[in-house]
Amino acid sequence: MTEVTKTPAAGDALPVKTGKRTNPLANVFDELVRFAQSRSLFMLHYCTGCGAIELPPAMTSRFDMERLGIQPMVSPRQADILLVTGYVSVKTLKRVILTYEQMNSPKYVIGICSCTVNGGMYWQSYATAKKLNDYMPVDIYIAGCMPRPEAVIAGLRGLIEDIRRGTADTWKDYYRRYDHYLGNQQRLFGEDWQTPTDVIAEARHYGLFGPGTLGERTALLERHQKPLEALEMKLDIPELMARRSGLGSKGRTEVK
Amino acid sequence: MDALRLMLELFLMPLVAFVIGLAMVLLMRRIGARLQRRVGPPLLQPLWDIIKLHGKETQTSHGLIHEIGIVMAIGGFVAAVTLIPVPGMNGLAEQGGLIALIYMMMIPSLGLALGVGQCANPNGSIGISRALTAMLAYDIPMVIVVFGIAFFFGSTNLVQIVEAQQAGGIATWGLVEMPLLAIAGLFAMQAMLGKQPFEIYIAPAEIATGPMVEMGGKFLGGLFIMQCFQLYTAGALYTLLFLGGGENWLTFLIKVFGVVAIPMTIAFLFPRYRTEDVVRLVWKWPAMIGLLGIAFLMY
Repeated sequence: MTEVTKTPAAGDALPVKTGKRTNPLANVFDELVRFAQSRSLFMLHYCTGCGAIELPPAMTSRFDMERLGIQPMVSPRQADILLVTGYVSVKTLKRVILTYEQMNSPKYVIGICSCTVNGGMYWQSYATAKKLNDYMPVDIYIAGCMPRPEAVIAGLRGLIEDIRRGTADTWKDYYRRYDHYLGNQQRLFGEDWQTPTDVIAEARHYGLFGPGTLGERTALLERHQKPLEALEMKLDIPELMARRSGLGSKGRTEVK
Repeated sequence: MDALRLMLELFLMPLVAFVIGLAMVLLMRRIGARLQRRVGPPLLQPLWDIIKLHGKETQTSHGLIHEIGIVMAIGGFVAAVTLIPVPGMNGLAEQGGLIALIYMMMIPSLGLALGVGQCANPNGSIGISRALTAMLAYDIPMVIVVFGIAFFFGSTNLVQIVEAQQAGGIATWGLVEMPLLAIAGLFAMQAMLGKQPFEIYIAPAEIATGPMVEMGGKFLGGLFIMQCFQLYTAGALYTLLFLGGGENWLTFLIKVFGVVAIPMTIAFLFPRYRTEDVVRLVWKWPAMIGLLGIAFLMY
């Protein structure tokens, strides 16, 4: 892994290793890991729209995703695939991005239904994000309104094949062209949009810097960014607080 | 020579336990799939899961204790496995005994609690508090069962317990001699494995898998490894206490897999109890059956 010591300037191209490694044993190891990654996919389904209705048949006895090694998981930290099923409103998109940034790489995004491709029947809606891949890199779109379970399985098989060949690396794109994605997000959510995950720091730590990681949009982010602070612990129940303060004063008088 | 043999056993026993545990995870998932009329995962699925989780390129750690907690969770079971005699290998079983084994089996839950505590995720904290409450619940019947066994055989040495059971064939098995304790032990094992209906601390739908909520990548991989050891430890312990251990590897494996298959088969037919109901149920029924079993042994 490349160690990045100095902060790269905007537009700096850093060497990001691609392709095969020179050590043949390392190549075998990479092949094994890639195969394991393709055969074991934990799926987080962000069921925003009607496409979610086609997932239960794909998971249960009729089509049984588990025979392909795909199983549902409930927390973004555990998941490999983010499945966005259906239209994404502006408010939902914030949550989808938060979820996406919390996932551990390599992570894959699948857009199901035509709504994620181009807005679908919500094309004229003012509150719907039209193209999902403006805001995060999408590996595979499964178009249709809604796609049948067969189509979902076929799409997942395509993703599995991509992972095994090592070509499903769009997640790196989010780090390398963060400025582009952040720009699109800021266009929707306003200039002061920020997420708890520090994508730039992650890119620096894992050596995933690209020419487009930093730019004018990330400069804007840095200007607006507030440091994350732990929430203050407080109970805001008036009756309880009143009773407590009453007890406290009584205790004090007794001591006297 | 003895030291060399012991070193080899201490290396081999966890390894064997892990491989058997992988097969048990597969068994569990296959049973679930069959009951739901699915095909189920392929043969090496548990292994691919673990390799994939350790092969994640970004790992979200929440600090030192988060990582140490996982090591404790696996280490506790690795230590426990070396105390379980298997055919041909005794490891530390002679020196350790039953009480040390029960003690070792509590360490993983505590390690998990430490690790989850550092994550500072409210779902994780709820999950681990439920897990520790469940531990408090199932440990009471567990201790009753262990006391009954130790009283009956007059020893806490697992090697002696197994030898005493193998002396007269099936007639001297713990299961035949102490049927009530065997039932209580099976009940406690269901709770110990955290299978439905005692699955409240994982509760995927309500608290997003509880303790595992912030565990991704190698941390979840560590927990998957822990699960392999957990299944093996529970199955092997029950086999040693009630089914006469194993005369050879074939009978041992048949018994261990048979024992683990029972809670799995029950599990997929049930929803789950709430925490207080788990405590009430486990302190009432298996504890009472266990006490009754001890009463029969004593008089």
